[in-house]
Amino acid sequence: MNDVSAPSVKGLIDSTINVLEVRELSVHFAGRGRWRHRREVKAVDGVSFDIAQGEILALVGESGCGKSTIALSVMRLLVPTSGRIISGGEDLATLRGRALRRARRRIQMIFQDPFGSLNQRQSVYDTVVEPLIIHQLGATSQERRSMVMDALDLAHLRPPERLAEAYPHELSGGQRQRVAIASAMVMRPELVIADEPVSMLDVSARAGILRLMMDLRDRLGTSYLFITHDLAVAWMVADRIAVVYLGRIVEIGPATQIVDEPAHPYTRALLSVSSGEDIGADGAVTDVLPGETPSAANVPPGCRFHPRCPLFVQLGEPAICRSEDPALRIVLARRSSAYDRPPGVHQSACHFANEESS
Amino acid sequence: MSLLDIEDVSVDYRIGSGSLRAVDHVSLRVEQGEALGIVGESGCGKTSLGLAVPMLLPANASISSGSISLGGRELVGMSERELNQLRWTEVAFVFQGAMNALNPVQRVDRQILEAITAHDSHADREVAGARVLELLELVGIAAARAKSYPHEFSGGMRQRAMIAMALACRPSLLIADEPTTALDVISQAQILALLDSLRRSEGLSLMMISHDLSAIKRVCDRIVVMYAGVVVESGTTEEVLGRRGRPAAAQHPYTKALIAAHPDLGGARSLAQGLSGHPPDLSVPITGCRFADRCDSAMEICREQAPASLSVSPGHVAACHLARRLVP
Repeated sequence: MNDVSAPSVKGLIDSTINVLEVRELSVHFAGRGRWRHRREVKAVDGVSFDIAQGEILALVGESGCGKSTIALSVMRLLVPTSGRIISGGEDLATLRGRALRRARRRIQMIFQDPFGSLNQRQSVYDTVVEPLIIHQLGATSQERRSMVMDALDLAHLRPPERLAEAYPHELSGGQRQRVAIASAMVMRPELVIADEPVSMLDVSARAGILRLMMDLRDRLGTSYLFITHDLAVAWMVADRIAVVYLGRIVEIGPATQIVDEPAHPYTRALLSVSSGEDIGADGAVTDVLPGETPSAANVPPGCRFHPRCPLFVQLGEPAICRSEDPALRIVLARRSSAYDRPPGVHQSACHFANEESS
Repeated sequence: MSLLDIEDVSVDYRIGSGSLRAVDHVSLRVEQGEALGIVGESGCGKTSLGLAVPMLLPANASISSGSISLGGRELVGMSERELNQLRWTEVAFVFQGAMNALNPVQRVDRQILEAITAHDSHADREVAGARVLELLELVGIAAARAKSYPHEFSGGMRQRAMIAMALACRPSLLIADEPTTALDVISQAQILALLDSLRRSEGLSLMMISHDLSAIKRVCDRIVVMYAGVVVESGTTEEVLGRRGRPAAAQHPYTKALIAAHPDLGGARSLAQGLSGHPPDLSVPITGCRFADRCDSAMEICREQAPASLSVSPGHVAACHLARRLVP
């Protein structure tokens, strides 16, 4: 495991321990149509990554790229078609029943919509105490109460005694998302999966939630799998970024390097629209990536990105892009690179990842 | 003369026995061929203002003061019949989540055809049919896809179809309320590029309402920042938000906070503090500056007296006691 972008080590963070190892994860769904014509939907197609203790890994991609399916598989809210999901020495992909329930304590999830994910008829206290009751944690109700109050305080819902009695309709969007965070943190998870945790919030509330999550990492050593469509947000919070396209990780590496020296043409396209670089010299908005992401039921042969790839056109449509599915390979450091890093940390699934782009 | 001239407009909502002023004496203009961005957070009144222009406010809302003139014609007080002649032909709108407003059981080309014939009942079927294909081509949908049903389109394509429909009667002003909010980043960029090119090629004027500063920055010449029903700052996008190496020269603390809250890939990799607290309750009268409770730089005068608008540089106005004229 790398320690390139290891956060300020505070004792609780050990970047040599992986809290999650995902290996060759695939999730295929049966497609629609008459059985002879039925095509499998390859929502996730051979994805591997690790998350170290105290690390924040961001999965970045557009809707339908499979990033949420990866999250649901890690939570085992979906049964993967193949692959391994190693956490705490167990393979979550094959666990069942009581063993699965016990393993789930270690991993908690925060969802996108704080307006829909909270029960309107439950007070904040009832919402946050619920996971403790389900997992039979805390010997007495007194003990559970103090665990809930601690969690509310951790999530900056202060004063906890007063906010515990509040109902969701009395809270702002940011406060509701803090309740969701408190009910995840009350379990003291090793890993939190956050699926677009700020995309439904007003911009002014976003920074507070992101800060809170980073603060919890620093104080408790919590690891995050942070799912977002917003590369700029990923760059702000994550140690490493994995860019997902059509069910596959096409580029992975330290966040600053992905942004400063992107090696995959899809990452470059995402970057140009996120940074406003697609504005031309006269202020006119210039062309962006053409077309639509193909359906996961109809993954293009060879490199799955080639039908939309500007580099493919630029290089005169090399045959290899049409015929060979590129694996993740090490991106060599540019001579001008400002980064000093161990090899293998920055990888890209492009046949021409190491060509200098113009 | 400006194409759209909003002068001192207030919008009130009747709620229970009381009322709530969502837009409070707002004035702004959109020039011919200009793209104006209106930015602010949920509840700041930007959507109410957008709905007020074509007089499409909900039944419990009314325009309680001011005037709205479009191409020299006063819209406030106009009869519904006259308004119907202006809607779509002079001013068209693309609403938030508009792509879900398509009729799911009718082919897309027919829906656009209907928009044309509804406003011109004498339209020649063949001419109108050709216009539909021309419109779809304009928004980047191939003629071969014209006979599709909405569910066969992606979100981005449905939004393009809605824009094609809005342009059916060649309006001079398009009001787009959060036109890209529900879309993916690449589709967002495609739609913004489309709006930008329509403005350049068709001379369309644009009033774009969004909470997304980067979308506004990409398309709009000028920006109006709203907070709690009032305009707190306005100016050229380049000056207020900064662009191409030019630093943002926003003067109002709220605008500054909004800019800081937007992660900028070209800037520093640090998270802004964010804003604490909530916007004020608009159903009670407010003395002083509406932003004072959330403002780090609030002084005594801020709580006593509402700040007047100060022209900080030509075309750049900020309503803050701390705003100062910029030295050129």
